[in-house]
Amino acid sequence: MRQDFFIVGGGVVGMAIAYGLARAGQGVTVLDADDTAFRASRGNAGLTWVQGKGVGMPSYAEISLDSVQAWPSFALELQQRTGLELEYEQRGGVDLCLDEEEAHARRTEYRELQAQSERLRRDFHWEYLDREQLLPFLPGLGERVAGGTWSPHDGHCNPLYLLRALHAACRRLGVDIRQATPVENLARTESGFRATLRESHVEAERCIVAAGLGAKRLAPQLGLSGDVFPLRGQMLITERMPRVEQLPTPQIRQTATGGYLIGDTHERVGHDKGVTLPMLQTLADKAVRIFPFLRSTRLVRAWAALRVMTPDGYPLYERSLTHPGAYNVNCHSGITLAAFHADGLAQAILDDRIHTHFSQFSGARFHVPSTP
Amino acid sequence: MFRRLPETASDSAEVTLWVDGEPQQVGATLSVAAALLQQRGWAEYRLHHDGTPRAPLCMMGVCHDCLITIDGEPNRQGCLVIVKDGMRIETQMPAAQPTPGASTG
Amino acid sequence: MSENPTSSQVAEVAIIGAGPSGLTAATRLTKAGLKPVVFDLNAAPGGQVYRQVESPQADLRVTGIDYRLGQRVVEAFRRARVDYRPDSRVWWVQRVDAGFELGVLHEGRSAVWRARRLILCHGAMERPFPFPGWQLPGVMTAGAAQILLKQGGLLPEDAPILVGSGPLIYLLGWQYLQAGHPPTCILDLTPRLQWRLPLRQPGKAWHARGYLFKGLKMMLALKRAGVAIERDIEALEAIGDKVLEQIRYRQRGHWKQRPASLLLSHVGVMPETHLTRSLGLTHRWHAEQQSFLPVRDDTLSADENLWVVGDGAAIGGAVNAMREGTLSALEVIASYHGLTKKERHERDGLRRERARDLCARQLLDAMFLPSLNIDAMPEETIICRCEALTRGDLDQAISDGAEGPNQLKAFTRCGMGPCQGRQCSLNATLLLSRRLAQTPDQIGQWQIRPPVQTITLGELATSSMVENRVT
Ligand SMILES: Cc1cc2nc3c(=O)[nH]c(=O)nc-3n(C[C@H](O)[C@H](O)[C@H](O)COP(=O)(O)OP(=O)(O)OC[C@H]3O[C@@H](n4cnc5c(N)ncnc54)[C@H](O)[C@@H]3O)c2cc1C
Ligand SMILES: Cc1cc2nc3c(=O)[nH]c(=O)nc-3n(C[C@H](O)[C@H](O)[C@H](O)COP(=O)(O)OP(=O)(O)OC[C@H]3O[C@@H](n4cnc5c(N)ncnc54)[C@H](O)[C@@H]3O)c2cc1C
Ligand code: FES
Repeated sequence: MRQDFFIVGGGVVGMAIAYGLARAGQGVTVLDADDTAFRASRGNAGLTWVQGKGVGMPSYAEISLDSVQAWPSFALELQQRTGLELEYEQRGGVDLCLDEEEAHARRTEYRELQAQSERLRRDFHWEYLDREQLLPFLPGLGERVAGGTWSPHDGHCNPLYLLRALHAACRRLGVDIRQATPVENLARTESGFRATLRESHVEAERCIVAAGLGAKRLAPQLGLSGDVFPLRGQMLITERMPRVEQLPTPQIRQTATGGYLIGDTHERVGHDKGVTLPMLQTLADKAVRIFPFLRSTRLVRAWAALRVMTPDGYPLYERSLTHPGAYNVNCHSGITLAAFHADGLAQAILDDRIHTHFSQFSGARFHVPSTP
Repeated sequence: MFRRLPETASDSAEVTLWVDGEPQQVGATLSVAAALLQQRGWAEYRLHHDGTPRAPLCMMGVCHDCLITIDGEPNRQGCLVIVKDGMRIETQMPAAQPTPGASTG
Repeated sequence: MSENPTSSQVAEVAIIGAGPSGLTAATRLTKAGLKPVVFDLNAAPGGQVYRQVESPQADLRVTGIDYRLGQRVVEAFRRARVDYRPDSRVWWVQRVDAGFELGVLHEGRSAVWRARRLILCHGAMERPFPFPGWQLPGVMTAGAAQILLKQGGLLPEDAPILVGSGPLIYLLGWQYLQAGHPPTCILDLTPRLQWRLPLRQPGKAWHARGYLFKGLKMMLALKRAGVAIERDIEALEAIGDKVLEQIRYRQRGHWKQRPASLLLSHVGVMPETHLTRSLGLTHRWHAEQQSFLPVRDDTLSADENLWVVGDGAAIGGAVNAMREGTLSALEVIASYHGLTKKERHERDGLRRERARDLCARQLLDAMFLPSLNIDAMPEETIICRCEALTRGDLDQAISDGAEGPNQLKAFTRCGMGPCQGRQCSLNATLLLSRRLAQTPDQIGQWQIRPPVQTITLGELATSSMVENRVT
């Protein structure tokens, strides 16, 4: 029996779309690479976050907003289907500014973003709070922090459990998930698409490339854009600490199990997911600057993961011009966008209207002279 | 509980530890975890985050089940720290850890 | 900041570990005029086997005569006046272009060291041995009990029960007997058939005769003293509310129960692989030792300018660890200025002795192969102690699609606690291996993440590198 879709990539992006399509009754096969493959979905910060998104492309901020609004019901449904707790919380979040300069730049940025979109002026809520005002939301905040922008849309989850829940839910919906099955090549057949594997191949009517960094090589084979590159992020996690009522920040947040997650660096170093001593120290410095009480807290793990980055940092959603029926879905912030991917985006792919509804996100934007 | 071999007890140096506020004389070569196993045994050593009691397993730094508060620093590996005169030890029943209010560094 | 020459200290040769292998390596290098730096997290030299050897806390009659050999090794090391840094945890190790970068934590301060050559002498750990109730206070490893004996002459107040397989069980039982406090019984998990191996492999048995006679002597002494030795144990449980109260075991199909206050368990030792895995070395599954071993060549080198010796590379015991320590020193000397004829002679002799000993070792490995399989453990058995995850939890994640160790770790948090997977990594791999019908090599082990040893954020943030940068 031939499937309706095959999806290349079993990270949160591929799995969220597989989930959305399977829920809509489609027959889906997911092809994923080995246990040691690059997988941003296993190394990220778990924020469901709107702040800072879309400066320069308001429509990105809009879909991020759509996604965080859909997250509560998305999380609930996944939990009900699988019995897995995603540790999802949306009680607002704070993006810290360590000094006044940063605080000024942040405010200017958000105002500019809102100036560009009626919807964001109406629906994106935020406020700048100085350290004193932040203290009730972030008890123990260090004195060497200027303040931060607060927004009620922001939240966090356990991204590893999100990945697991998507796998588990897809299995229950009958998705054929094949791990350790790297795709070597993609091609069109007379009536669909073929993925060539190490020893066999898989066919389906339509296909989606959600292979993260793997898209660089695979997407162009179907006339899709391969404009993704790795951007390394190093992170730290501490031992469990007593839970404190506090809001998450992108710089540091306490996870549901009590550990403090400290992030993250932005380094263009190719396909190297090693950690480096200077960066670990920089992160530790920042952590104790924000929360001095963490000085005697033990580091349990440091790691790095590679972001799936596009040249402008915005998502890449497109339908192939040369190979209709082939789609490309690659982005940073796949956790935030998971609810949107499972719902709005999966539906747009199903209805084959991704190129009309989300034309700004096409890779074509990288191949025309950009306008400021 | 553990006790010392008679010949060891008679000819080796001792130091004073303060365990949960109580002074205890212990052998100077012992690790903090060893001293506790001798003086108090393995009951009431530490509560794990799931609420179950735990005590040292390996005594060589591998298992992290010997976590204990030493001179105010929580979650130190008791089996890797040798006792010192005047050291303050708190068993972790339950875990005593710094919280935002406790210090601002 | 690596360009800043004052920001790190430099060692000609760095040695991690001051057990028998590290001590001999350092002593031999110094004799040849080189200046190694030795880091060890313990306060005194000796490693696992010769712990506390400089100021013994228990009579040599109790600990056994092998301790004398340890005293000689430590004395030679002290005489060589090596740059020895006790109480120094190597928490970070990474290859950098010109050698290795080490992060060393000493008295709450972290320093960065650079070394052109590195000898890893970090030793072994006891194989994690999960069974229902092994997390209860009152269950310790036999190695831990032996450490208490060596470190402070400590004996259990009430006679303990010993359970497991491997020479250490009988050694500890015998040591307690020498101290006048024998255990109540020994539950021997070695399958009966394996005891007959020496008869079937007389050649190897000859090389192993020293070990075998010693073991036999101890076993007989224990029997004579009335210590019950139970065999054919098929299952084991520790039971208790807040502490251990009872043990239950199945012997030849029948469940038996015994009151117990202290259960000392042990199923052999295996290399501690955090350092070698952190360095990205290739590891292979070794079926006889039931462990992953870093791959080395004939010169005991695992990579350029990197040697791994002693029980941190493959279990060979204290004497073999000393030979390998000296051998690695000779290889380092050779890499500097070649070997003299005398040194070549020394090396060849050691290599021959090592080969003979390894032959004996194969027999011992086969004799003491542990028998209780992880997948046969009841599903409530805790596998990951830190995160309190059971065999059932891991199986559930496997059926959700965790088809590899990294994915299993991500799906469950297995190995994400403070012990960093030391107590669960191997068993997670073995469980996957059973469930997916692949070899442990095919499954592999999850990726190791720094730090290798505990460090606080404060220690990391104020380490000397940062301070040097500021000034
Ligand atoms: C440090 C860091 C922090 C982050 N923090 C956040 C955050 O807080 N919030 C947020 O929303 N996002 C965050 N992100 C981004 C987020 O993690 C990613 O957007 C998301 O995980 C991308 O998912 P993906 O499925 O596209 O990619 P991946 O997880 O990389 O998955 C790609 C998959 O494709 C498979 N694949 C590749 N090639 C092939 C092939 N040839 N054949 C078969 N399969 C193949 C791989 O096996 C892999 O499973 C962070 C990322 C990083 C690195
Ligand atoms: C608990 C236990 C008990 C044992 N008892 C005996 C026994 O009674 N008789 C016997 O013959 N064999 C015993 N062994 C076997 C033992 O492995 C060998 O006999 C011998 O000690 C191996 O010598 P080595 O030099 O390879 O390592 P070890 O003697 O283990 O020495 C390694 C040293 O490296 C240090 N180290 C490790 N990692 C780091 C780091 N990151 N930073 C700084 N320092 C580090 C350790 O603290 C240790 O001091 C025992 C093993 C264990 C684990
Ligand atoms: S007792 Fe195992 S780490 Fe201390």
